Amino acid sequence: MSLLDHVVLGVQAVFLGSEAFSVFGIPLSTTLLMIVGGFLFGIVVGATPGLAGPMAMAISLPILISVFGFSSDALLPVIGFLIGIMKGATVGGAVPAILFNTPGTPDAYLTTLDGHPMAQRGQATKALKIAHFSSASGDTFSDVVLVVCAPFLAILVESYLDLPEKAALLILSLAFIASVIGDSVGKGLISMGLGLLAAMVATGSDFYPRLTFGIQGFAEGIPVAAAVLGVMILGEVFKSLEDWREAVRHSEPTPHVVQAAHQPLSLAEIVSLMPVIGRSSVIGTAIGALPGIGSTLAATLGYTLGKRAHAKRTHPEDAKFGDGIPEGVAATEAANSSVSGANLIPVLSLGIPGNAAAVFLILAMDSIGGFNPGPSVFRVPADGVNFELVIAFGIFTSMFVANVANWTVGGLFMRNMGIMAKVPKSTLLPIVLLLTLTGVYVQETNLFAVYMTIAFGFLGYVMRRVDMSPLPFVIAFILGGRLEETSRQAFAATGADPFFLLSSPLALLFVLLSLAVVVINLRKSSK
Amino acid sequence: MTGDRLLGLFFVFFALATIFAWIPLDVDSGVVENVRRRLVIGDSLGPIIAGVVLAVGGLLTALNPKSDSGSLQRSNLAWIACLLIVISISLVLIRYSGPTIAGLLTESGYRPLRDTFPWKYIGHLVGGTLLVSALIGLTAQRYHWSHWVVGFFAALTIALVFDIPFEDLQLPPNGDL
Repeated sequence: MSLLDHVVLGVQAVFLGSEAFSVFGIPLSTTLLMIVGGFLFGIVVGATPGLAGPMAMAISLPILISVFGFSSDALLPVIGFLIGIMKGATVGGAVPAILFNTPGTPDAYLTTLDGHPMAQRGQATKALKIAHFSSASGDTFSDVVLVVCAPFLAILVESYLDLPEKAALLILSLAFIASVIGDSVGKGLISMGLGLLAAMVATGSDFYPRLTFGIQGFAEGIPVAAAVLGVMILGEVFKSLEDWREAVRHSEPTPHVVQAAHQPLSLAEIVSLMPVIGRSSVIGTAIGALPGIGSTLAATLGYTLGKRAHAKRTHPEDAKFGDGIPEGVAATEAANSSVSGANLIPVLSLGIPGNAAAVFLILAMDSIGGFNPGPSVFRVPADGVNFELVIAFGIFTSMFVANVANWTVGGLFMRNMGIMAKVPKSTLLPIVLLLTLTGVYVQETNLFAVYMTIAFGFLGYVMRRVDMSPLPFVIAFILGGRLEETSRQAFAATGADPFFLLSSPLALLFVLLSLAVVVINLRKSSK
Repeated sequence: MTGDRLLGLFFVFFALATIFAWIPLDVDSGVVENVRRRLVIGDSLGPIIAGVVLAVGGLLTALNPKSDSGSLQRSNLAWIACLLIVISISLVLIRYSGPTIAGLLTESGYRPLRDTFPWKYIGHLVGGTLLVSALIGLTAQRYHWSHWVVGFFAALTIALVFDIPFEDLQLPPNGDL
């Protein structure tokens, strides 16, 4: 079957998959409903301070898997829902940032700088409309880049990289993630080392389960859900609860501002915002495509460059970024939203998760099975169907369906989510904790897995307190097994050459780049 | 000594202990092994590389400490202790409240009842209610009966979300008993 046939099958899988119900005789597929449902849920989550997209993806995953099971039919509904959350949460994060000066998600912090002053001047609805338009534009641009780039990157990798090069590429990805996240290369490496060590427990080729201290509970290895949900979700819950406990002592009520009755966003205003949105979309997409650099940096860069360009174009007495101008809101929202599509480029083409949201997408694919993200996904068979390629195009279609939902109902839904900012974190986060622990239990049916999740939760808490990013831990934990397996195969394939990582120019280049990225970031952080 | 320096040194020692004690004692094969006259990578190599990464990370952190970097304060340790107490009591209740009540009220004990209403919910409801309500009170720094109501309905809703639609799923602790 040709590539085009796979594209058609992928689109059909989304629109004509198992029918949920029909409206006026038109069947609506389960996947379609899951994408839109996930998107709306994502907006609610993003609009709720203290709940971020990855957290909602984490607590949804065990429920989704319970509903849809482990068959390949579950892939698109589950991944579609998670993609919906990922996109919706970015849009929703702007709501409390603009209305209450409380960013719903970390990357929406910069939205407060201009969005909230606009709300204080009675232009909250207009600020929300700008945030939504910029966000949807950046997201759509990013998805187009994903569809164009991911298959080509995968084909390049599959054509030119053999086992030693693939092992070296994994090392480069890990070195990059450990070095660029946070402001300390040393802590990034510690986080990565811990993730690798955790991945090694009870795995390996020997009969004896290694590194288990002889404890029976470790004999099957550390469950991915326990390590990932513990470090990413419980760690954040423990920290946020403590922060909230401190904030309760110093809380002040938000003053009520009367909003203007009619706040349209004219075509002329949209046109004037396009250069800012275009610049930020390119920045966000480029950053999103690199593993480990998240939407917070994209938002910061988009805002900073937008601010610089605005200052050049205007007079000193004109309103500037930070005074509450539409360009400030657009620069941030376009940049952070354009990360979500591009961050699937390394996921689908290399099987390497670039950020927390991508980690949960990989976790879903890994849990359900039948789809192993990586270069082989985009192989077009001479005859027959490559099921993974169909799913990949189904995922692309899901991204665009979520975009359509964003352009059509997203804005209206988002503008009505201000109420979510009033839900206290102190009530919400303990419920998230119980939901996560129950989710881990129903997946593993083992209290030891719950104990492990809690232990990893404390590890995640300590990491956050010492300013160590937990993301290198999680990514190293997910990639650790693959790195070891690829290295074993490369070692065997090169006739037990101990220098197999240096044996080809490309592998050598990746290894040198790994060293360079560590040294460069080390020098930068020393200054 | 700054927090970063202490943290770095801790991980250097942890890495050395891992490489020179934990791995030799708890991994059966070496760095490379001879299997059927072919050299293959043994199970020790991966953990040793993880240990080396930890050691390098620890060394870099210790040698390049940041004065404004976060560190664990006494208040953080107190918070960890509070969380540990609340979570431990909740888990004990999750694990033992069902079997204890069944032991007191029935002759058969908990095991034959663990998949029947209302027994299968008892552990999750009792422990879950305590977990949620105690954490709400701990965070809000005041205790109110409404926290127990929120905790109970949260635990009940979560139990129903997992239990009603899916027959094969088991709520804690029923899979262990």
